[in-house]
Amino acid sequence: MEEHLSRENQWPFEFRQCTTILKATGRKASNLKELRHIISIVSDDSIFHHTYQYFLKEHILEYTNDFAHWAGESLEERAVAEELSNIDPYGYATLAELRSALLSVIDSCLEIVSQDRPAPPGEEFYFNETITYVFPAGVWASNLAEFLMALKFVDDGSIYYHFYEARMRVPGGVDDFSQWIEQALHKKELAERIRAIDPFMHDTSEIRAYITDIVMKEVSRDMERMGVDI
Amino acid sequence: MIERYSGISPKGDLILLRKLAEKLAGKTFLHINSTREGGGVAEILQRMIPIMSSLGINARWDVIKADDKFFDMTKKVHNALQGYPETIGKDMWDHHRAVNEKNAAELDLEADATVIHDPQPVPLINFRKNGVWIWRCHIDVSNPQKEVFSEIGKYVSKFDAALYSVSRFAGGMSKNEFIISPSIDPLAEKNRELSRDEIEETARRLDIPLDRPVILQVSRFDRFKDPTGVIMAYRKVKKYNDCVLVLAGSPATDDPEGAEVLNEVRQFASDDPDVRILLLPAFSDKDINALQRMATVILQKSLKEGFGLTVTEGMWKGKPVIGGAAGGIPLQITHGVTGFLVHSIEGAAFRIRQLLNNSDMAERMGQQAREYVRQHFLITRQVRDYLAVWYTLSEGTKSLVEL
Repeated sequence: MEEHLSRENQWPFEFRQCTTILKATGRKASNLKELRHIISIVSDDSIFHHTYQYFLKEHILEYTNDFAHWAGESLEERAVAEELSNIDPYGYATLAELRSALLSVIDSCLEIVSQDRPAPPGEEFYFNETITYVFPAGVWASNLAEFLMALKFVDDGSIYYHFYEARMRVPGGVDDFSQWIEQALHKKELAERIRAIDPFMHDTSEIRAYITDIVMKEVSRDMERMGVDI
Repeated sequence: MIERYSGISPKGDLILLRKLAEKLAGKTFLHINSTREGGGVAEILQRMIPIMSSLGINARWDVIKADDKFFDMTKKVHNALQGYPETIGKDMWDHHRAVNEKNAAELDLEADATVIHDPQPVPLINFRKNGVWIWRCHIDVSNPQKEVFSEIGKYVSKFDAALYSVSRFAGGMSKNEFIISPSIDPLAEKNRELSRDEIEETARRLDIPLDRPVILQVSRFDRFKDPTGVIMAYRKVKKYNDCVLVLAGSPATDDPEGAEVLNEVRQFASDDPDVRILLLPAFSDKDINALQRMATVILQKSLKEGFGLTVTEGMWKGKPVIGGAAGGIPLQITHGVTGFLVHSIEGAAFRIRQLLNNSDMAERMGQQAREYVRQHFLITRQVRDYLAVWYTLSEGTKSLVEL
């Protein structure tokens, strides 16, 4: 046990978090054709914001990016929304590839929609970008019990940073939590259980609840193994 | 001072705020607008300046001095930018410029960052000295009268950045356009927790009966807030639901139309004893707080709106708010979750009836509304955003900043 603890302490998990400041691009789309055109020319930062950063915002779980959300809610093109929601941004190595995938889906949709109807006035799609600030949350965890406590304490922006944004940073496209649990705590099975959570089917609050539950069970098992009454 | 927000504001906002303040400590942050009292801009500046100062930033707030002719003209500009037809002659634009030139001679414009609020003081950009200059637009300019937009745009294009409350207000007037929603201060007299005694004291003094549901709209007496539409909605509700309607507002020194609209509303209400029209003196913050807390349902039936901070205030008090789908109101009210969005008098009446007849739904909606405000619309988030934009402009715009 002592050996196990000292190994944990060598690499504490530092919780960080991110927050964004919204910047307008000055571009807006009123219908699918315009959306397609602007997606083809808008900055990578804007594509990033409307896809990867979708999970940093409150959103409707029926959709997985802003384009799908707009197609479903403002254009009321449900089939288009479904197809756009099926795009997994983490499945592409570059933003250029993701952009091509978005264009390809919209092109095929434009062939089948009966008419390219406009969004109601005031509900046009406004293309934005963000300036992302990343900073320490002021919380560290050296073992699983501390990790559990910290998980309950940090803001949603921290959950987003480590569970979603990490997939762009960490080799293998995995989240920071499971990476640390596997590499620092050598708990591969626990890491796999966290990696099995579908990132698209939950918001950050639910992700927090799922991971807390999984880790809580692991901590309870560890305590039982150590003979601690719980 | 900032520690007073611990346990109220999101933790991350406070951490980032402190980190940005460390970078900007000792520098001067100047804000200029056209009124010290009345309206959301003055209200938020009264609260923001002390917070910035307490973080070690040399924050200053100046107000331009002007005559009635100037404010008549800028009210027309305000209306025209919100899409209302107005005629503004060359002599008026000349007066606008001349008044600002006179103010520029009297104001200390030396600052590391200067924020000019709304169109009234926008010509001060011609007298910029140093630092970063930012134009803060608090109004809905999504469908402006083109000529007026173009005249104001000539000034705005000279700023380093423009800030808007909502994405669709950003109109290509500046090369850097940021979206920063306004906010409320949870510790201000207008929003702090009140005791039952304090609420009842206000009710007694303002003669508001508490034996029936209270429907409330707090806003300036301005046609864009549709006060007569609110009375019409109340009349439809009253048929089956006994209730009291309270319309409360304060005069603003930069709004010469207020008295005229108030008179119209009084005439329209006729002699209905259950319609209370209250012209509250400036700084009636505690009374407004008490009115919002005694209300069963809060309305903000705006036809045009900048952001609609009274919506935020009502939501913070855990009340269900019914808002017109205008300006920044849809950003605050997720229809059916944190309140209701309406597009007509009939819609407003229907939602009031629904809430009066389903107290569980009203309670649930109110709690969701309060949490949404906590996450997005408290003053600490807005100060954080102002400092972040200033820091970004000073350091050169990058899409990722690690602190």
